[in-house]
Amino acid sequence: MRVPMLRAADHTRIMLDSRPRCCLAALGCQTTRNYFKTACMADVQPLDTTIGVVTPENIAFEYQLAGPFRRLPAYLIDVAVRWLTIFAFGLALLVFGSFMNVVSAFFGQFSQAALMTLIFLINWFYGTILEAYFNGRTIGKWICGIRVIEVDGRPISPRSALLRNLLRIADLAPMLPLSSLGEELPLVYMIPTGIFGLVSMTMTRRMQRLGDLAAGTMVVVDERKWQLPIAKVEDARVPALASYIPGDYRISRKMARTLATYAERRQYLPATRRREIARSLADRLIQRFEFRKDIDPDLLLYSLYYKTFLAEPNEAEADLGPLAGYSPLAKDVGKAMGLDAPRPSIIPASAPASPSSSVTTASPVDSRINR
Amino acid sequence: MNVAKLLEKRRVDWTELESLCDAMELRGKTDGAIPTGQPKPDEDRPGTGKKVPARKDSQHRGVNGVLRFSSLYRAACADLALADAYQLPPNTVTYLHRLVARAHHQLYRTESASPGGWIRVLFEEAPRRIFNDGCVRVAALVFFGLFALAMMMGASEERFPQFAENICGTKMLETSSASFEKPLDVAPETYAARAAFYIKHNTGIGLQCFAYGILLVPCLFTLAYNAIVLGATFGYMSREGVEGSENFFEFVTAHGPFELTAIALAAGAGMRLGMGLFYTRGLSRVDSMRAAGHRAVPIMAASAAMFIAAAFTEGFLSPSGAPYLIKVAWSIGSSALITLYFVVLGFPRPRPSSGSVVRSVRYDELSSGGGSSSWDDASSAATMGVERAT
Repeated sequence: MRVPMLRAADHTRIMLDSRPRCCLAALGCQTTRNYFKTACMADVQPLDTTIGVVTPENIAFEYQLAGPFRRLPAYLIDVAVRWLTIFAFGLALLVFGSFMNVVSAFFGQFSQAALMTLIFLINWFYGTILEAYFNGRTIGKWICGIRVIEVDGRPISPRSALLRNLLRIADLAPMLPLSSLGEELPLVYMIPTGIFGLVSMTMTRRMQRLGDLAAGTMVVVDERKWQLPIAKVEDARVPALASYIPGDYRISRKMARTLATYAERRQYLPATRRREIARSLADRLIQRFEFRKDIDPDLLLYSLYYKTFLAEPNEAEADLGPLAGYSPLAKDVGKAMGLDAPRPSIIPASAPASPSSSVTTASPVDSRINR
Repeated sequence: MNVAKLLEKRRVDWTELESLCDAMELRGKTDGAIPTGQPKPDEDRPGTGKKVPARKDSQHRGVNGVLRFSSLYRAACADLALADAYQLPPNTVTYLHRLVARAHHQLYRTESASPGGWIRVLFEEAPRRIFNDGCVRVAALVFFGLFALAMMMGASEERFPQFAENICGTKMLETSSASFEKPLDVAPETYAARAAFYIKHNTGIGLQCFAYGILLVPCLFTLAYNAIVLGATFGYMSREGVEGSENFFEFVTAHGPFELTAIALAAGAGMRLGMGLFYTRGLSRVDSMRAAGHRAVPIMAASAAMFIAAAFTEGFLSPSGAPYLIKVAWSIGSSALITLYFVVLGFPRPRPSSGSVVRSVRYDELSSGGGSSSWDDASSAATMGVERAT
């Protein structure tokens, strides 16, 4: 079970997700309490456009299904490629044929036959041949980064490729007559509407069109590049604060996951929003750690993240310099903090009642610190 | 070990796997995978326990490349499996999912369609399916029944006046009758072009009929429409006093058997597809459709092959000035071939033993190795019976 989290690249996923929770979280307009409740406590299903595949290595990895908005451009590109190929071949045959016509009149007829057969083959078997030989991808699919696989995760077999491509014409049905565009055009039914395919895609769990259903295939997103993200902590106060976290605090698995999600997401949020989101979790942690109440919740969560994921367990004593003599512990509240008593850099300027007020009251020092 | 260290260590393998994937996607081979831009770990940290061998170009060539790829893939799989235990950050887990999926695509590839496989489908699987398939029977009955009916109605002018004209249109009937006024003798140069046109046109209609089978109604409509129009045309042409009727029948004789059977087969395959949606035989609807789809493909393949055979006949033999006897002989021959194909190749036969270790025997066969007295009695009685019989 994974926490629904948001990535910049996952617009489709969010768009296609029917449940409002994730979208609200994406906009940051849900209450923080609920957000963390969902993230920490509830068993959250993966999004319903995600399909798990169990491999012979006995591990399960996840695919993202490709919906109509990814597949339509691929199809249009394929149509263009098909007709361009036919056009190019036709032109080549025409040029070649005019040369050969000097030799014999037989060739003209022959090239006509070749072109006709070619049109037939390309129009009916373009997808089949490419998908069978290029591992489930046509040129359009390759450009759009999608791929056809069998529903059980195996690569597509030639028979399935044949079936799903033959049935495309049924998915494009019903056809509209050409005369619906203009009165003078002939009554030829050739404008595909694709209603059947669309309805079938929206009604099935794996977003299959009729051809996919019959062939037992599905189309998945085939991400080519994905940079390995590493969260680096640049803030010098974080290791220092982390060293104050009691050593006997055992972090739970769910908590670790929540912290990682938070650390990945926090760079996209403004400082006030971070504090707002972090507060509900941080309040309990402050009690548990016996820290001061006015500590920056965002920094506390980030320090905990640092301690969990990045810090060496037997590291040398952290440099407390960045804290400037400030102690986060609750018992040290009344103590003097150096000669000129510098403004405690960890505490936000004022405990914000609302995000807007904290923005207005933030001092220059504070805005520098909280970035 | 903390997560950052772990990631840093595994990252080298992951980037190498990625570069191998890049090479496989570009060239289909592991050759020439670019060594990653990472500092080579064995040179930087010579003292670490697990030593990654130095990457050279030769290491990714041929068998070595494949072996390296598979071991890296398994390592990435293991990392993904242990991601939860390692408490990897979610972003890294997503990265691993993508990486494993990508490598999975390169490792498990489509088995390429060998021509031998399709020949086996065409000559072993297809006739048996056709022989057993109820939908094909229904489609053939509908097609040939409607065809015969329309032909009779079109032929008897007194009882059903204007039937053929209403169905096909007077103009079309007149043009087709006029086009057969002259004896058949088309210039041989045009044979290939004609055959190609028939391949494109008729096979296209067959494939379309099959595809619409999943919606059932359009398939049945195409089938019935073709049967009635063809039948009415045939009936009209067989009337007394229609010009060019002799030439018309001479023309259609040769390719008729292949083409008519092919239409019925295509519709039968399509109906099989559509029936999978309604008649599920205890499977879930989606599974049933899938099973029906895979059953229908061989029938469609046989139909397409027949369409192409018909197109060649129609292009090369039918319009030629060859004697009528040859065309009739070809027609009879092709009908015999189709019958042989359906009946001899398609007749249900016991499956050859699939090499299973488990097999069933009768009890008296077991007793031959000696055992209790009753077994001996039974076996002796059996042998006596055999002796008596001999």
